[in-house]
Amino acid sequence: MIAGLMSVSLAACGSGNSNSESSASNGGSNNGNKGEKVTIELAISKSSQDSAFVAQDLLDEFEEKTNIHVNLQLLPAEQTSTVLQTKLAVDETPDIIQYNLASATTDLNLERNFEILDNEPWVSRLLNKDVLSAYGHVYSFHVSQDTGMQGVVYNKDMFKELGLSIPQNFEEFLAVCEKIKASGITPVFMPFKDNWAANIWPAAAFADYAAKNEPALFDDLNANRKKWTDIPEFETFLQQQYDVYKKGYTNTDILSDSYDMAVGKFLNKEVAMMFMGDWLIENVAEKDPNIHLGLFAIPSSEGASLGASPLGGQLFIPKKAKHMAEAKKFLDYIATKEVAQKIVDQRKYVSIFSDVTTPELPEYKQDIVDQYITPKKTVLTTDAYMLVDRSELYRSLQDQFAGGKTPEEVLADWNDKFSQLMKDKGVSGF
Amino acid sequence: MKISKSLYSYYLIWPALIIYSAFFVLPAIVGLFYSFTDWRLDREVIQFIGWDNFNRIFTDKTLILAIKNTFIFAIITVIGKNVLGIALAVGLNMRLKTRNLLRVIFYSPSILSVLVISIVFTPMLRSEGTINKLFEAVGLGSLSQAWLTDPSIVIWTVAAVSIWQHTGFQMAIYLAGLQSISKEYYEAATIDGAGAWKSFLKITLPLLLPAININLMLTLIGGLKVFSEVFVLTGGGPGNASQVVGTIILRAFGEGSWGLGTAINTLLFVVVTIISIPLLIFMRRKEVTE
Repeated sequence: MIAGLMSVSLAACGSGNSNSESSASNGGSNNGNKGEKVTIELAISKSSQDSAFVAQDLLDEFEEKTNIHVNLQLLPAEQTSTVLQTKLAVDETPDIIQYNLASATTDLNLERNFEILDNEPWVSRLLNKDVLSAYGHVYSFHVSQDTGMQGVVYNKDMFKELGLSIPQNFEEFLAVCEKIKASGITPVFMPFKDNWAANIWPAAAFADYAAKNEPALFDDLNANRKKWTDIPEFETFLQQQYDVYKKGYTNTDILSDSYDMAVGKFLNKEVAMMFMGDWLIENVAEKDPNIHLGLFAIPSSEGASLGASPLGGQLFIPKKAKHMAEAKKFLDYIATKEVAQKIVDQRKYVSIFSDVTTPELPEYKQDIVDQYITPKKTVLTTDAYMLVDRSELYRSLQDQFAGGKTPEEVLADWNDKFSQLMKDKGVSGF
Repeated sequence: MKISKSLYSYYLIWPALIIYSAFFVLPAIVGLFYSFTDWRLDREVIQFIGWDNFNRIFTDKTLILAIKNTFIFAIITVIGKNVLGIALAVGLNMRLKTRNLLRVIFYSPSILSVLVISIVFTPMLRSEGTINKLFEAVGLGSLSQAWLTDPSIVIWTVAAVSIWQHTGFQMAIYLAGLQSISKEYYEAATIDGAGAWKSFLKITLPLLLPAININLMLTLIGGLKVFSEVFVLTGGGPGNASQVVGTIILRAFGEGSWGLGTAINTLLFVVVTIISIPLLIFMRRKEVTE
């Protein structure tokens, strides 16, 4: 009886511990060729499991060349940050983590937990160090520098039919809306049930303003030398987005409509524009390649720059990684010209390495490269500069539409929350 | 006598006690400790900060709104679920042909997942949704509302959905209570000339008190601990208009303010205890036996 119980409980232990078990058995059976086989752990959100870095053939090739086995830890998508926070806190650290740089600074305490990669051999070949860096150091790795762009997603065919050109300022934008509305199509789709969607316009507009007028603005905000309420232009930008709604250029029930309806709205040609990222264009193209969507900059001021999301899906090495050298070897391997080229070609990435060429891009992406990236008319959105959780900002933005808050009140609310969070975080000046 | 004394030893409660202590008592005590600290995502050293977290709960206007919403939700749902629950139970305790069918129909919402409820109700509660269309169709267009997006009514809407879902469960308990009341009382009352309303007040209600007590406790505690209905229907929005204590705790943890989140949790625990234990004692005293 007792023996039976014990065997059950042992079996339970075994299954709960499958990671270490599988790594042990791999080490035992396959170590014929060169020395001891090492297994490194790579933790990645389940939602990112089609990432190029964890493709099976890549991992197999790596193992064959280096005798290092990469074991994947797939984390449930909605708990990724919590699980990683816990793993880092209890020293059950994976050797490599795939995560987003911007969220890593707010969720995972980047400086404390992750290795600085400034001296890795591949760093010298980077075309764009910024998308991998924070606090002045390279903290992460990627083969792409295409961060995803944010602006106004628009239906090119509709613009052509109605003889519209891309608006260069807010007045022109309203005029475009008016003409689209007159043709019986909803000009702008606002899915503000998802409060983050209300952040696309201000995130690009604020950043564009700062880049052109006060380059040190976000440093000042993050050091409490300035307050969010100090910049009258921010109020203007929030008022603009509200005006688009108030003038009747949007779907009527903006607080009930959610982002997951967006693809359908574009497929059915119900709407002409939306403040969103270029990932939406990709999603629509997957469903119907005959719909031509494009992206232009949020027209908050004359000739505004296109917002660039902070890059996502980078690889990080925790300071406490048990196999630091092997983890670095993995990055070196992906960074080799041949491997990086293969990934960049397959995924149609804009290459980050000077010796890896960017393949032919989809039409919309090439347009973005020609019109915004090459002439350097892009600006990192505010998200890139935010050191604390932003969900309360999104709620404040939503409140402008729900609770009739003025732009001033929205910014005041966020300013209070922001200073509280920064104070809690222990940032000096708050 | 002797057998009944030695049949079960007190040692048999040990397994339950150990599990209960390990998974409830211990975490509650540890939680109490952490609620007085500045435990945060980015703090390496956890510091004791006294009552700071609690001071913050009572000065942050979103947290105050959440507490207010929680009480509104709890009070509406306690009244709604119990009044409707008794009414349904009394109705379905009568000799109706469709009695069993109706019982199943009224009980069935409470076995649905709250996610399903959200998927069903969210489109119905839109401005141009079924409910407003229904009002317009019967000429009551003026009653139509932005049910889930108007900050001033959203918590009431969520409470109404919760009442719709759970009344059937309360009804089942009341039905059980009703069936334990002997018919003789009603026969005697009829002979004495008491009407239906009078026998309800003088016989049904007093003898139903044990069921009322358990239902009041269940709905009150459930109401104060509300989370899932709000989370799936509004996510606490629009803005923060429908935040309740449960969703605020999630928000605090999401922001990495673990100490604050634990403090709110502790506060909720204390409030639920302070309200429910005296209520339980008070109600017990009122119970009558047949």
